[in-house]
Amino acid sequence: MYKIEVIKNSKLDELLYTTTLRNGLKIYICKKAGYKKKIGMFGTKYGSVVNDFVDKVSGKRVTVPSGVAHFLEHKLFEQEGANALDLFTKIGVSSNAYTSFDQTVYFFETVDKFNEALELLIKLVKTPYFTDENVKKEQGIIGQEINMYEDNSDYVAYFNTLIAMYNKNPVRIDIAGTIDSISKITKETLYTCYNTFYKSSNMFLVVVGDVDIENTIKIIEDNIKIYEKDYGINSNSSNIEIFEAYEEEHINKKIIEKQMDIYMPQICIGYKLNIVEKNEIIKRDLVSSLVSDIYFSKSSKFFTEEYEKGIISDVVSFNCESTKTFSHAIISGYSTKIDLLKEDLLKYIEQIRNSLVDKDLFELAKRKKIGNTIFRSDNLDNSYRRIIDSILNENDVYEDIDIIDRIEVSDISDFLKLLDSDKQVVSIIRQK
Amino acid sequence: MSNIYKINNEKFKGISISYNLTLPIVKEKIAENSVLASVLSKGSKNYPNQNEIDRFLSWHYGSNFETSVEKIGDLYNIEFKFLILNKKYLPNNEDVLDNCLRFMNDIIYNPLVNTSKFDSFIVKREKEYIRDKINEKKDDKLRYAVQKTEELLCDKEPFGVFVYGREEDLENITEESLYRRYIEVLDESMVTVIISGNLTGYDDIDNKIEEVFGSKLNSRISCNDLIINNVNDSYNENIQYFEEKVESTQSVLTMGLKVKDINEDEVFPLIVYNAILGDTPSSKLFQNFREKESLAYTVRSRYYRYKNMFVIYAGIDKINYNRAIEVIKGELNSIKNGNINEEEFIASKQSIVADLLEWYDSKVALQKMLLSNLLNYKNTDMNLEDIISKIEKVTISDIIEVSKKVEINLIYFLGGEKSV
Repeated sequence: MYKIEVIKNSKLDELLYTTTLRNGLKIYICKKAGYKKKIGMFGTKYGSVVNDFVDKVSGKRVTVPSGVAHFLEHKLFEQEGANALDLFTKIGVSSNAYTSFDQTVYFFETVDKFNEALELLIKLVKTPYFTDENVKKEQGIIGQEINMYEDNSDYVAYFNTLIAMYNKNPVRIDIAGTIDSISKITKETLYTCYNTFYKSSNMFLVVVGDVDIENTIKIIEDNIKIYEKDYGINSNSSNIEIFEAYEEEHINKKIIEKQMDIYMPQICIGYKLNIVEKNEIIKRDLVSSLVSDIYFSKSSKFFTEEYEKGIISDVVSFNCESTKTFSHAIISGYSTKIDLLKEDLLKYIEQIRNSLVDKDLFELAKRKKIGNTIFRSDNLDNSYRRIIDSILNENDVYEDIDIIDRIEVSDISDFLKLLDSDKQVVSIIRQK
Repeated sequence: MSNIYKINNEKFKGISISYNLTLPIVKEKIAENSVLASVLSKGSKNYPNQNEIDRFLSWHYGSNFETSVEKIGDLYNIEFKFLILNKKYLPNNEDVLDNCLRFMNDIIYNPLVNTSKFDSFIVKREKEYIRDKINEKKDDKLRYAVQKTEELLCDKEPFGVFVYGREEDLENITEESLYRRYIEVLDESMVTVIISGNLTGYDDIDNKIEEVFGSKLNSRISCNDLIINNVNDSYNENIQYFEEKVESTQSVLTMGLKVKDINEDEVFPLIVYNAILGDTPSSKLFQNFREKESLAYTVRSRYYRYKNMFVIYAGIDKINYNRAIEVIKGELNSIKNGNINEEEFIASKQSIVADLLEWYDSKVALQKMLLSNLLNYKNTDMNLEDIISKIEKVTISDIIEVSKKVEINLIYFLGGEKSV
């Protein structure tokens, strides 16, 4: 049988069960007593930034067009002509999938069809079916998806920030690729990526809800066995070899502006940061959310002043995003007086970098963070996000809750020092 | 007190307290209502600015307080909503309820008013804010196209107006007029308080609410005075066509449909009809328009139960305009001709039921259902189980029958100029 590890978090009243199957697949089950909804997620540690690697089948180094991971997501969630969303709907289950920079995840949500849905999820992800014809059809649908994002000013503002910060890192390319790059994708490309990155040892299965633990693990193993002929044979799970483009420390461009047919202009200010690992990623994330509260929330001097000057009506947001291959902070805001907002933001950031942290605001922000962590656990989505983050960042699942208690004022000032004007880029969307 | 409702579930850690002012409205007053809600949320006598409000909330462990506006059919609802944690989950079991209730009372009933005038600076700023909200709706092309279709379909009813109102109605709002409107809103609204979440240790929560809000809870208006649908019987014999130009890569095609002469029991077959037509991945539109024809990434139908109407929307390439209309018309007719198979019928019902069951896991969904039942049925007798059983009783022939009452009223096109 499997060795099941149990982690209890008393602050959130959650129990987490984890185990690893013989093929290397990691299973995480977060028990949420009393909830009707159950969520099953099958994911791989493979996302849009990977496009240069060693093909597991041929052993040769290959490069693939941008957008393959996302394309694969669309095609894998389909079976011999039937869309997976439809197959799930037919058994009364809702489902979806997403691709981000470093992961591709397929999931379902159900109340009373958990076992069937779990079986279907495994079947879909484990049985690729790519033909010239279905690849061509998908190019049309994904083309529409790319166009839709191209008209979305938030998305354009964000990606222009990434383009400005990064010279070579594929994070600067749209997750779905471009109309041009997806036209180069063939069924062979899809099989190459699938065979390399959808090995069970590179994947994870996360379940959240009020489910039976032993039974769930048994269903997972029984179903995986159907599709893996070599299951149980100690497969040589040699590491996947990925080549990352060398990314210089310096930024690519200081400023990118674009005019769109919109009413509300917006700005993103990005800071390219040094790469951190494991629990440092979690810590950076928490520290930056405190920075957001202390310096940009409605409690802040900045908000009050800008509101009174008539420059902003809502808070500007401050977010940090980090993976194994990049880390950056992005401040974004909307204003009909976008140049004034830009000027004030840049001045303000310089000023806070060189000032002492207000201890009262720091304590207030921490209190809020402690409450919010508990609030959020009323929502099942929050449980799987924490688990998937921990898988990708390779840290313990509930580490964030301990880290928050240990954050000190000096962590805030250390972080602010990273917001260096040499590493700063600006992306603006203006009215046409 | 009869207008305080409690929905207890111990699996949650939080408690959501929703205080609703629901009132009938005329189109011209929607902008003023949205400015009012916005001004109220920006300060009160004891918490005179957003900074004070935010500090209060952070101190109470990030308790969340939101003021929002929505249309429920032709009614307008201003909602003040608190999300707090049950003391059981807070450090030292600190209880934040009393402070939060007093805070809420202060925001709603003790606003920054002097000599019958709101603070002039805040009014000016919030008018600008609402003007921006009205103007920026066009930034999201799909949402804008849907909203525009609602407007065209309901050109005579309040429901047709954007939730923040019309720009031309903002001009005349002053500190004084807004105060008069505030008094009117309080007088013309039904007050409903709905508490949902983990109420363990809060048996007396309704008494506390009565203590804090007192006679303000006794509104003159009751749900029997509120009409959710000001029926507009104007149906067009011929389909009307509208087109608007915009610079974008993708175009949006929408259709507005109305349902003629329906009775209350037909709402449930219409909900299932909507799922079969275009509200799930098994639906005819998703399967044919998206999957078979590759015409769109987004295609969906939406049913407005209080207004007896549908909107179908899709993001398409301009060159596919004619084909897209043809395919949608084909699907509408195919249902009318009885083309619903057992599989899609069962799938659609299951998917609706599954969505409804998930409401049990959401404090807010349960609150919303209660208020909407109260406004629609004038009581709160109908629970989630009743709704589910009504859906389950729907038959294929019920759906075919109601489908014959659904007629295309207008076709709207938000045309992209850039060629791809």
